[in-house]
Amino acid sequence: MTRPYVPWLLVVVALALAAVYLFPLYWMYVTSFKSGSEIFANPPTFWPREIDLSIYPNVWTRRTMHVFLWNSTLIAAGVTAITVIFGTGCAYVLARYRNVWVDIGLFSVLMLQVLPASVMVTPLFVAFNQFGLLNYPRTAVVLAAAAKAMPFFVVLVRATFMTVPRELEEAALVDGNSRVGAFFSIVLPLARNGILVCAILTFMSSFGEYIYSKSIIQSPALQPASVGLSGFLGPNSTDWNAIMAYSAIYVTPILAVFVLLQRRIVSGLTSGALK
Amino acid sequence: MRRFLASLRDGVGFDILLVGAAMVFLIAMAGLPLIYNVLMSFQQVDMFTLGSLIRPWAGFQNYIDVVREPAFWLVTKNTFIFVFFSMGGQFIIGFALALFFAQNFPGASTIRGLFLVSWVMPGLVVGAIWSWILAGDFGVLNTILKGLGIIQSNVFWKSDPAFSIWAVVIANIWLGLAFNMLLLSVGLAAIPRDLYEAAELDGANAFQRFWTITLPMMRSTIGAVLSLGLIGTLQQFDLFPAITEGGPANTSTVAQYWSWQMSFQLYDFAKGATISVMMLVLVLIASIIYVRSTRHEVRG
Repeated sequence: MTRPYVPWLLVVVALALAAVYLFPLYWMYVTSFKSGSEIFANPPTFWPREIDLSIYPNVWTRRTMHVFLWNSTLIAAGVTAITVIFGTGCAYVLARYRNVWVDIGLFSVLMLQVLPASVMVTPLFVAFNQFGLLNYPRTAVVLAAAAKAMPFFVVLVRATFMTVPRELEEAALVDGNSRVGAFFSIVLPLARNGILVCAILTFMSSFGEYIYSKSIIQSPALQPASVGLSGFLGPNSTDWNAIMAYSAIYVTPILAVFVLLQRRIVSGLTSGALK
Repeated sequence: MRRFLASLRDGVGFDILLVGAAMVFLIAMAGLPLIYNVLMSFQQVDMFTLGSLIRPWAGFQNYIDVVREPAFWLVTKNTFIFVFFSMGGQFIIGFALALFFAQNFPGASTIRGLFLVSWVMPGLVVGAIWSWILAGDFGVLNTILKGLGIIQSNVFWKSDPAFSIWAVVIANIWLGLAFNMLLLSVGLAAIPRDLYEAAELDGANAFQRFWTITLPMMRSTIGAVLSLGLIGTLQQFDLFPAITEGGPANTSTVAQYWSWQMSFQLYDFAKGATISVMMLVLVLIASIIYVRSTRHEVRG
C-alpha cells in the first residue's frame, strides 16, 4: 500500500534539492529588496523586514546602467549575428557528409572550442593593437567573442541538421531546385527551431561576456554590463544591496527567457552536447 | 568562370563556400592568435616592441623567468586544487543528482531543468552572489553552518589564505554542477531498462546494479564529462575577479587568472603569453581525451 506514495515523496525531495540549489538566486533578489542597514543584520534575515525597492532606480541612474546594458545588447547581437551566419552553413556541411575531411573539420572545431578565453586574450589584444582594431573596441570584442562562441554553436546546430531527413532535400533536388534553393527553402526552415534555440543560447552567453570586454574596452561609455558590475565589485565590497540590485536587473531578462524556453533549451542541449 | 559560379550555386562549391567562410574566420580569430601566442612566448615583448611582429628573440628566457617567479609553485598548486576539487565536486554531486532524477516521478525533467539556470547566468553575476554569500562577517553561509553546528566561529572565506581558493571552488562547483548532471542524465537514459530488470531477477541489489551495469555502460559518457569538466574548469575566469581577485597574496590565483594579470595588470605580455602556452598543454591533453571518448558519437 505504500507504493503510490513513493513518487510524491520523490517530488518533495526533488523540490527541496532544487530549492537548495537555487538559494543563491533567491538570496540575490532578497538582498536587493533589503534596506542598507538590514543587509548587515546579524543573524541575516531570510525574508526582508520591509521591502525597500528604492535601490533599483538609484543603481540604475548612479551606475548608468542603460549605457552598459545597451553595450551588452550590441555586443551580444553582433556575436550572435556572426555566429549564426558563419556557423549555420558550416554545421550544415559537417552534418551532410561523412568522410575524413568532415572528421578533420569537426576535430578542429572541437579543438577551438576548448581554448580558454584567458589564453586567447593576450595574443588577440596584441594583434588587434597592431592592426589598429583597438580603436573600435566593441567590434574587436565582437570578433573575438564570436570565434569563442562559434564552435559550440556548430556542434549543437550540426546535431539539429542531422535530424532533417536527407530524402526531403534529395526530393527538392530532383524537382529541379539548385543546392542553394534546396538549402534555403527546405533544409533551413526544417532546422529553424533548433537554430533559433542555439542562437538564443549564444546571445545569452555573450550577454554575460566579461574577459574580452574587460581587457579590450577601456572607455566606460563602450563597456558592457559585466565590466560595469566589476567596477564596484571586489573582495572588499560593502554596498551589497546595490550590487545585488544591479545583478538582478542584469540577469532577470536572461532568467525570464530561460524559464520560457527551458524545455527547448534542455532538449537542444541533450541532443547536441554529447553527439 | 560560369562553371565556377554554377558550382557555387549548385554543386560542391556551395559546401566549400559554407565551410570555408567559417573556417577562414575561425583560423583568423583563433588559429593564428594561438600560433602568435607561442611565438610571443619566445620573444622579448615590452611597451616598445608591442607594435612590431619581429621582436628580439628571447629563447627560453621567458619560461625560465616564469618558473622563477616567487608565486609560480603556489599558482601551480592552486590550479591543481581548483581543477581537481571543482571537477570532483561537480562530477560526484552531478552524478548523484542525475541518478536521483532518473527515478520515475512526476515533474522529474521539469525540476531537473531548473538546475540549468546557473548555466545561462553571467559568470560575473554568479561570482558576485557567491562573494556575498561567502562574506566573512555578514555572509549567510557562515550563519547556516553555525546554525547546523558545523563551525563555531565565522570563517573568513575570502580573506583567510587557508580558505580563499576553496571559496572559488565552492562557487565553481555550483556553476558547473548542472551541466555535469545534464550530460550524465543523457548517458543514464541511454542504458536499456531490461538490463536492470534482468539483474534484479538474478537477485542483484541496488549497489551491485550500479557497480556492474551503470558504471560500465556509462564509461564513454563519464570520459566525456570528466574531460569537458577539465576544459570548463580551465576556462573558468569570471569567478576570480568577482570573489577574491586572486588574493590574499596570490593564495587563490590560478594559471588562467595569473596569465591575465601578467598581461593586463603588469603589462608583461611575454610572461602572460608564456603562462598561457603552459596551460595550453593541459588543455590539449584534456581535449585529446574528450575527442577519443566521443569519437564514435561524433562520427554517428
